[in-house]
Amino acid sequence: MNDKTLHEVASTMIKKSVTRVAPDVLYLLKRAYENERSPVARKILEAMISNSYAAQKKSVPLCQSPGYPVIYVKIGAVKIETNIQKVFQKAIVEATREGLLRPSMVHPITRRNPGDNSGIGIPEVEVELVPGEADYSEVVISFKGCGAELPSALKVFTPAEVGREGVGLKRFILETVARADGIPCPPMGIGVGIGGQMHTAAKLSRKAISTRLWTDVNPDVGLARLEEELLRSINSLGIGPAGLGGDTTALTVKVEIAYTHTAICPVAVNFHCWAVRRITTRFLPDGSILFVEDEYAGKTT
Amino acid sequence: MIAEYELVTPLSDDDVKKLKVRDIVYINGIIYTARDLAHIRIKDYLEEGKELPVDFRGAVIFHAGPAVRKRNGEWEITGIGPTTSYRMEPFSDIIFSKLGVKALIGKGRMGEKTLENLKRYGGVFLIAPPGCSAIIVESVEEVLSSFWLDLGVPEAIWVLKVRRFGPLIVAIDSHGNSIFNEVEENVMKALNEIRFAMKG
Repeated sequence: MNDKTLHEVASTMIKKSVTRVAPDVLYLLKRAYENERSPVARKILEAMISNSYAAQKKSVPLCQSPGYPVIYVKIGAVKIETNIQKVFQKAIVEATREGLLRPSMVHPITRRNPGDNSGIGIPEVEVELVPGEADYSEVVISFKGCGAELPSALKVFTPAEVGREGVGLKRFILETVARADGIPCPPMGIGVGIGGQMHTAAKLSRKAISTRLWTDVNPDVGLARLEEELLRSINSLGIGPAGLGGDTTALTVKVEIAYTHTAICPVAVNFHCWAVRRITTRFLPDGSILFVEDEYAGKTT
Repeated sequence: MIAEYELVTPLSDDDVKKLKVRDIVYINGIIYTARDLAHIRIKDYLEEGKELPVDFRGAVIFHAGPAVRKRNGEWEITGIGPTTSYRMEPFSDIIFSKLGVKALIGKGRMGEKTLENLKRYGGVFLIAPPGCSAIIVESVEEVLSSFWLDLGVPEAIWVLKVRRFGPLIVAIDSHGNSIFNEVEENVMKALNEIRFAMKG
C-alpha cells in the first residue's frame, strides 16, 4: 500500500461518503417512514430519503455542511506503511477545492478559516493495531455534523451515582437527549461511551456511533439490551424528525465500554445527525478492496 | 388533516393567514438568503437611513448561506441548507414590522418575539428539512443576483428563483401557534414519566 494507492482510495472514499447517506442508515430511515404515525414527521423522513437518492444520482453533497472528519484505522495483517493523515489531508483539501466539501475548519480561538479544510489535527486519525486478530486492514472515514455536537455531554459519575443497574447513567443519557431537542437534526444516532477516564468515554462515544453499522447488534448481550432500552425510551420522548414531533427521534443507540477505576464512572453522550457520511474500506490480503457499506447495501436491496 | 399549499411570491396577508401549524408549503418565485451578517447590516442600514438593495415587502427569507461556483459566467449553487434560525431571533422586530417580510425559512426553534411578530404583522416560520441540500439545490432554477458579497459568499444576500421549493413545514403560524411549544410540552411530560418509572 503506497501513498499513491491510498490517495486514490482516500479521494474515492471522500466522494462516496459525502454524496449519500450510509446504506444502513437509509434502510433505517425507510423503516422509520413506514412506522411513523405523524404526517409531518413522515414528510420530513420522505424528504431525507429523496435527498439521499438525489445526492447520489448527481454526486453532489448530501448536506451543505460537511462536518468534522475522523479516520479510524485498524491495522491487521495487511500493511499500510504510509502517513495516513497526510494522504487524507491532501485528499480533503482537493475535495474542498472541487466544491465537494464546504470549507468549515477554523482556528479554535481566532476563528480564522484557511478556506480549504486544512488545519492542525485535520483530519483526526485514530489507529488500532491488531496484527494477530484480523487478516485484513480497515479504514473508516466519518464526516460528522457539528451542529449536532453542541448538546453532546460528558459527566464523571461516582459509583453511588451510577445507581442500581445503571439507572443514574440512563437518566443522564435521557435528560441529555431531552435537552438536545431538535438541535442534532433528528432522527439522530446516539453514541455512548462508558468507563475509562474522561477522555476515554468521549473517544468511545464518538467511535461507537461513527464506525458501527447503525443496523448492527452489540455482540455483548447486556449492552445490546441496554442499547435497545435506551432507543425505546429516547423515541418515547417524541422529539421527532427535525424536532417537529413524532415517533422517530433516534434511529440507533450504540454503547461502547472500557473498564474504569473503582472510584469513578465517566459517561459521554455523543450526538450524530441523520446525515451519516461514513465509508468503511477493507483492504484484503489478496490486494483487493471492499467497501463494507456497499456490501451491506447489496444484501438489503 | 394537514394541507399542502403551493405559494407564489410575493406573499400576501391572505397567503399566510390561511396557513396553520403542520401545513406543508412549497414556494414558487423568489427567495432571499440572509444569515447573521446580512441581518446585522440590514439593522445598521435602517438605523442610518440607508436604502436597502432589496424591497422585502411580501418576501420570503431563507436562513442559509450557499456554496457556489461560477459556470459560464453565471453563479451556480452547489450546496445550501438551513442554518440555526434562533441566532436571527433578535432581528425579528425589524424583519416583520419595518421590512414587511411574510415568511422565514430555517432550522430549529424561534422564540416568543418571533411568535408575537408573526401574529401582529401576519407571517409564518417554515422549517426546511435539515441536511437536505441536494433536493433544495434542485428547486433553485436560477441565481438572479447577489448583494453584499463583501460579507463573504455564505453571508451575502442571494436572490434565488425557485420552483416547488420544499417541502416546508409551518412551525409557527400567524395565529400564535407554535409546534415547538407543543413538542416541548410533550417531551417534558414523557421525560417525567420515564423518570417516575425509573424510580420504581
